[in-house]
Amino acid sequence: MENGLSVKGLRKSFGDRAVLNGVDFSVGAGELVVLLGANGSGKSTALRCVVGLAEADEGVVSVAGRELRGLTGAELARARRAAAMVFQQIHLVRRRNVIDNVCAGGLAGLPLSRSLTPALFPKDLRERAMACLDRVGLADRAKDRAGSLSGGQQQRVAIARALCQGAKVLLADEPVSALDPAAATQVMELLRELARNDGLAVAAVLHQPDLARRHADRVLGLLHGEIRFSTRGSDLSDVDIDALYAPDRAVAV
Amino acid sequence: MSTRKYLTAAVVIAVLGVAHVFAWETTEVSPGALVDGWRGMARFLAEALPPDLDWDAVVRPGLEACLTTLAIGLLGTTLSVPAALLFAVLGTRGRHQVVYQVSRSVMSFLRAVPDVVFALIFVTAVGLGPFAGVLALICHNVGVLGKLWSEAMDEVDPGPTDALRVSGAREPQVIANAVLPAVVPALIGLLLYRFDVNVRSSLVLGLVGAGGVGFLINQSIQLFEFDQMATYILMVLVLVVAVDLLSAGIRRRLT
Repeated sequence: MENGLSVKGLRKSFGDRAVLNGVDFSVGAGELVVLLGANGSGKSTALRCVVGLAEADEGVVSVAGRELRGLTGAELARARRAAAMVFQQIHLVRRRNVIDNVCAGGLAGLPLSRSLTPALFPKDLRERAMACLDRVGLADRAKDRAGSLSGGQQQRVAIARALCQGAKVLLADEPVSALDPAAATQVMELLRELARNDGLAVAAVLHQPDLARRHADRVLGLLHGEIRFSTRGSDLSDVDIDALYAPDRAVAV
Repeated sequence: MSTRKYLTAAVVIAVLGVAHVFAWETTEVSPGALVDGWRGMARFLAEALPPDLDWDAVVRPGLEACLTTLAIGLLGTTLSVPAALLFAVLGTRGRHQVVYQVSRSVMSFLRAVPDVVFALIFVTAVGLGPFAGVLALICHNVGVLGKLWSEAMDEVDPGPTDALRVSGAREPQVIANAVLPAVVPALIGLLLYRFDVNVRSSLVLGLVGAGGVGFLINQSIQLFEFDQMATYILMVLVLVVAVDLLSAGIRRRLT
């Protein structure tokens, strides 16, 4: 996994409740992998453990060929920077304009004196951000307020922000759950292009099996904190899907 | 079960009834006195109208005093900002429990003591005049503004903060580019609201000797110059409405 993501034996509990029971998966460069699973199956937690929003109890995570275990402080931060994340709630600063939001993805490399307000952002960061914005097809909206864009456009701005971070691995936590079907398709196509054409390793948590079937190179099914199956996107069957969501239905009945 | 409900309702009504009878007695409510006193009120109004518009004796000092009142409100608001910000930050959720409790308690205390009481204390310390009013407003406003600000900070969506942390941004960069843009408009809005309230408070502070147009109102009542008092009250009306419109207008543009 020279430029991809690899996760081995990931375990995580919140109190007594085990959310991840030894999860293994990998995402190669150029590949779009979709994680499916019922609510509480641990999909999002797995991604959050990779980027450090949650602390794993056990397990080995490698990002772009670097193992995170054993790293601390600035070195850990630098290794983690190779993985970027986009969120269901998008999390842009709505009052700021689009280009400033994209620039925010590249703050880590800047000295404080050039990063405390957008007026100080250096020219090369702005140019890089503009290129990222162009990549997601929104260069013409650079000066608009982020909050004034539609949901699908905002999610693409968030993806541009992740690109501006210079990541090799892109994680997406339910990136299309808040979007209408057309916008959802557009975002999924963008994610697949970023994998195919730009060589990113993309892992997306989804709730829509149809989108997974249409866009994913590979689909992983999570159940009770374990990987239940791994299959090519086009081979994803209804039996696979029922296996993931049926246990919840049994409880509900 | 339903009998018990009726019993509870009956007890609540009885207790409320007794409380009101007690309150009526304690405050010496007497509609008769109000009716008998209509002559006094009519004379008071007759003397107040028309307002005394003598430029040198009444209007010019009144305008100057209005400026003083405005100045007390302005300084009382601005000078309370550093301490309010400190207590607000220390009083947000997620701080160490001791720090959180101490700063919340300090703010509660400052809020609980009315600014008029602070003014009376500072009048004995620095003498009659606007300075005592400024000090009093600072003390009370640190408590109120600090509490409002820390609540606004608690309500900030942590999402953009998470997003920037993931990108590897350091803490000052996260605060400058995710927390502040989200919270500053709300903080400025609350600050303007407090300025508005503080200008009105500084009128009352004038009544206890802390300068400004409130002081002139008090003086004119004590000298039975009710027509002068009417002029000052009209000025206050204009001042309060003007400040209110100004701060509301700016707040609207912020959101």
